[in-house]
Amino acid sequence: MIQPTLLWELTRKDLLLFLTDRRGMLLCFAVPILLASAFGAIFYRNSEEPIRPQVVVVAESHQGMLSRVISALEASEQLRVQVCDRATARRRLVGESDVVVVILPAELGQLSLSQLTGSTDRPRIELLHHPRSQWEARWVEGVLTELLLRESAQELLVPVLRKRVPLERPFQVVRRSEPASGALAENSFSHSFCGMTIQYLLFWGMDSGLLLLRERRQGIWRRLRAAPVTWGTLLTAKTLSTALIALAQILVTFGFGWLVFGVSITGSWIGFVLMALAAALLSSATGLLVATLGGNEGRARSISILVILTLSLLGGLWLPAFLLPTWAQRLSLALPTTWAARGLEGVTWQGMPLGDAWHCALILCGFSFCFLAVAWWRLKRSEGGVACSV
Amino acid sequence: MAVLALENLVVRYGGMVAVAGLSLEVQAGEIFGLLGPNGSGKSSTIGAIAGDCSISEGTVRLNGLLERDHPLQYRRQFGLVPQELALYDDLTARQNLKLFGSLYGSSGRLLKRRIDEVLYFVQLTDQAHRVVRTYSGGMQRRLNLACALLHAPSLLLLDEPTVGLDIQSREAVFACLRQLRDRGTAMVFTTHHLAEAEQLCDRIGIMEQGQLILSGTLAEVMGWRRDGAHRFGGPTRRRTRLEQVFLELTGRSVRDE
Repeated sequence: MIQPTLLWELTRKDLLLFLTDRRGMLLCFAVPILLASAFGAIFYRNSEEPIRPQVVVVAESHQGMLSRVISALEASEQLRVQVCDRATARRRLVGESDVVVVILPAELGQLSLSQLTGSTDRPRIELLHHPRSQWEARWVEGVLTELLLRESAQELLVPVLRKRVPLERPFQVVRRSEPASGALAENSFSHSFCGMTIQYLLFWGMDSGLLLLRERRQGIWRRLRAAPVTWGTLLTAKTLSTALIALAQILVTFGFGWLVFGVSITGSWIGFVLMALAAALLSSATGLLVATLGGNEGRARSISILVILTLSLLGGLWLPAFLLPTWAQRLSLALPTTWAARGLEGVTWQGMPLGDAWHCALILCGFSFCFLAVAWWRLKRSEGGVACSV
Repeated sequence: MAVLALENLVVRYGGMVAVAGLSLEVQAGEIFGLLGPNGSGKSSTIGAIAGDCSISEGTVRLNGLLERDHPLQYRRQFGLVPQELALYDDLTARQNLKLFGSLYGSSGRLLKRRIDEVLYFVQLTDQAHRVVRTYSGGMQRRLNLACALLHAPSLLLLDEPTVGLDIQSREAVFACLRQLRDRGTAMVFTTHHLAEAEQLCDRIGIMEQGQLILSGTLAEVMGWRRDGAHRFGGPTRRRTRLEQVFLELTGRSVRDE
């Protein structure tokens, strides 16, 4: 049974406690904004500016076809190329993790048909890269392959055509971002504001759970339980106050993102409201779960930090989920953070319609109600039978 | 009718019996001191009355009400003063009182008047707008008491309410309790300080291993002799008569719960 007047009084008490600690309150709003801004700035890239890996070319000769390949590499719009000697290239490789070194052997200057058919020893091109730059190295290999094949084809066609003819790709590539709903508003800030907001909501939930544990340690919870307040009223008030503050955090953080970084809602507005409500509920459910499973404040804090960071990483709150290995992507479907990120990112920059947002919000609410059920059951069990008769 | 009536109260935690068949009555305007070494069952008894821990057997009636039948009405009958300072220390005294008062259904002018009364009663009127964190230990204890008085309960459960207080603050708390007794409030008071019980309580019960092994007025308890012959004796040079009786009944070994 819920007692509406007492529910309001208890909720108001938690809101008052939140507002009383002015510095704490300011930090509560500032931290997610700072984190989201910092993450967004780190991964910010002007979408007009194409991505071009840095390539250092070491040519063992400038004879024949090799000189044309080097010129083509330098002219490539897909790479930023610098030609230098081997020692300089090695130095740069050691100092800069995003540089790819290409060492072109002298034999490449004298191309024969047998090299293309693989029937003789083929010259060895060395591609040196930092262990972290495997993607860039593959990229460079692809561009280099295209250039070399084009130059080789030109070379081989000279006897037939009696002159050098410029060759082009025998196809066109049309590239666009998906999913598309007209105006895409994706930038690094869209992702970071969604991810960091959800992550901080979980931390806020943890804080709220720790407050409940503190109330129990200080005997306040005992005093509340001794009052004529039903169990349902007490826990609903706790859930409601945490969720209301979480909702305020979402609105303030996204408001800032919209004003300063242009993080806008391209999908359903109702979907955004549903997602915000579901994420706020998740925050408070997580808080209650922390309070009941953690045992004491120290243990609860350590466990929560571990769980929240894991949920954030696997749920794609730091980096988009598609960058994770396949097994992690599959696992992440069983995590609430994945659905929170999917829904919020969907309605903000992926133009998600209400139907899909509703689906994500519903799954999120499912997780929250499971957490709440476990928390209520654990709290009841820890407080004994008589205390829980109402 | 007794304000509080315990009948064959049994409290078990798993296989451990914390309270073993306790029967007790406390009348209006009476302070009942519950004494006993650590782990004797005092806190569990208070817990069972306050609804903190489940009752395995027996009954607890407050003004004739059973907790299981009338849980909300039952809780209106008593005020709990926990051993801990159960206060929100970031809020002012008035804000704390307003919150705890509102939980008992008071609001508006009525609640404000009641808050003024209890603040005056515990001598904190002038400090009502200060944040509790800035209070001295004695002031916090008095506010802890005030929070339990807002709804004018007929029974006050005091779980070691003077822990950590200096003599002056303790006297101030005792003065409040005496006034409450004079107004007809029944009280159950647990303490480790026997001198406090001597000073304050009308009747005393000594608990050991979950049982009430001795109970009676102060004079009756002090007059207890192992051979069964009661006599009224004064304190010896080294310890009070109550301490002598207590040690004789509960032994001298140290208890770690």
